[in-house]
Amino acid sequence: MKLPKFQYVAPKSVKEASSLLKEHGDKAIAVAGGSDLLVNLKNRLKNVEFLIDLKAIPKMNQVTFSKSDGLTIGAMATLRDLIENQAVRENYPMLVQAAEAVGTPQLQFMGTVAGNLCLDNRCYYFNQSPLWHAGRDACWKLGGKTCYVVKGSKTCWATYCGDTAPVLMALGAKIKIADPVRAKVMPLQELYSGDGKKPNILKPGQFITEITVPPPAPKSGGAYMKLRRRQAIDFPLLGVAVNIQLNGKGNTCAAASIALTAAERRPILIEETSKLKGKTLNEAAIAEVLEAATSQAHPVDNLLGLPPSYRKQMVKVYLKRTIAQALEAVKK
Amino acid sequence: MKTSVTLNVNGETHEVLVAENHTLLETLREQLGLTGSKRGCDMGTCGACTVLIDGKPTLSCITLTVRAQNKPIVTIEGLAQNGQLHPLQKAAVQYGAIQCGFCTPGWLMSAKALLDRNPSPTEMDVRRGISGNLCRCTGYVKIVESILAASKGQVA
Repeated sequence: MKLPKFQYVAPKSVKEASSLLKEHGDKAIAVAGGSDLLVNLKNRLKNVEFLIDLKAIPKMNQVTFSKSDGLTIGAMATLRDLIENQAVRENYPMLVQAAEAVGTPQLQFMGTVAGNLCLDNRCYYFNQSPLWHAGRDACWKLGGKTCYVVKGSKTCWATYCGDTAPVLMALGAKIKIADPVRAKVMPLQELYSGDGKKPNILKPGQFITEITVPPPAPKSGGAYMKLRRRQAIDFPLLGVAVNIQLNGKGNTCAAASIALTAAERRPILIEETSKLKGKTLNEAAIAEVLEAATSQAHPVDNLLGLPPSYRKQMVKVYLKRTIAQALEAVKK
Repeated sequence: MKTSVTLNVNGETHEVLVAENHTLLETLREQLGLTGSKRGCDMGTCGACTVLIDGKPTLSCITLTVRAQNKPIVTIEGLAQNGQLHPLQKAAVQYGAIQCGFCTPGWLMSAKALLDRNPSPTEMDVRRGISGNLCRCTGYVKIVESILAASKGQVA
């Protein structure tokens, strides 16, 4: 498969990259690791005239940690940079779990954290070759007016399938976004639009420059579990991230955070989890949260491997297991 | 628009004229004649195109040549040194890890990257290390055995 023709540009600063992206509007696309974008370009799922190489900008790939400020992840740090970083391994093991769950070793070495957060949404009826698409009218995501997944839908139902987003959301991460006028900082969950066609709210000229995670709270621990057919390569069919902090005595919950991926058009934070505060984490207390999470998960028949009904059932199963793993992690 | 790029492949410097949309796999195979790296899926899911860039296993089919400049690239052709097969290659032959051979250059590069970082891997470490390389012939058992053997120096 040949890539389409484009002009390759290597900006030397965030400011240069931002103004180039703004100037060329929807004719320009920013590239990080390229492991998602280049495949979609080969399949002509996106048009590009200017490819802006964010990895050319110096010093965007640092990973630093301090006990007072927490973790700062440069947008162009690779997933492997997270996995091999001693501070991340010690202080945020659930982040290592998520990064290790992504794809394959090659993809972990090539893929960036910001790229994983900005992964384009996926759908069986979208991620196909030009030959496959030639037999069908274009769907919403391809600029047409139909959806092959939810019949009659006026919007795109392509699913968000990134692994690191739910973990970073459960950890309370914030992102810094470069902008031609003024950089913005926001909680990670505000990045996501909930629209299958345009999954994030980044406008021309904007891109993530860093991700920050608060220092780990005392007596806290978390875990990430990924439902998949194969033990490597696959995107999640469901991903569950749980972060729990226990009180001083270790018998009740001081704070908790749960996020799901591959269950909707964006990664979702389950708000009801805040009700666990002050409670002992037994079956009864968790039940309400399991119900809330299941009702907010809307898997549709657009991911190969397991039917949506099964993926919906697995929300409770995986949540229970992940909560148990998170509590184990607290003990360590 | 073609542009001149400097590539460092297997210790040799090459200046090639490439289009900005050329992938490293295309450049290696078609311009440098290094056909050891294979075009399998051509979309980053099978690992047959795996090369090492800066010691990191990289899918050359989704790497732009213009982005691979000025970094040491090692392909399968660069594994053997001074006419001697690398222990991983000797073990592959000895343990019957090769059938059609199409996936072989890819997993040999992944295995080299693994052993360079973890000289004494467990079986699970090896399985994870080559999890990005698909093989339709062997069922992976001999591949894993040969990599473990190479790591332990159990090669004739």
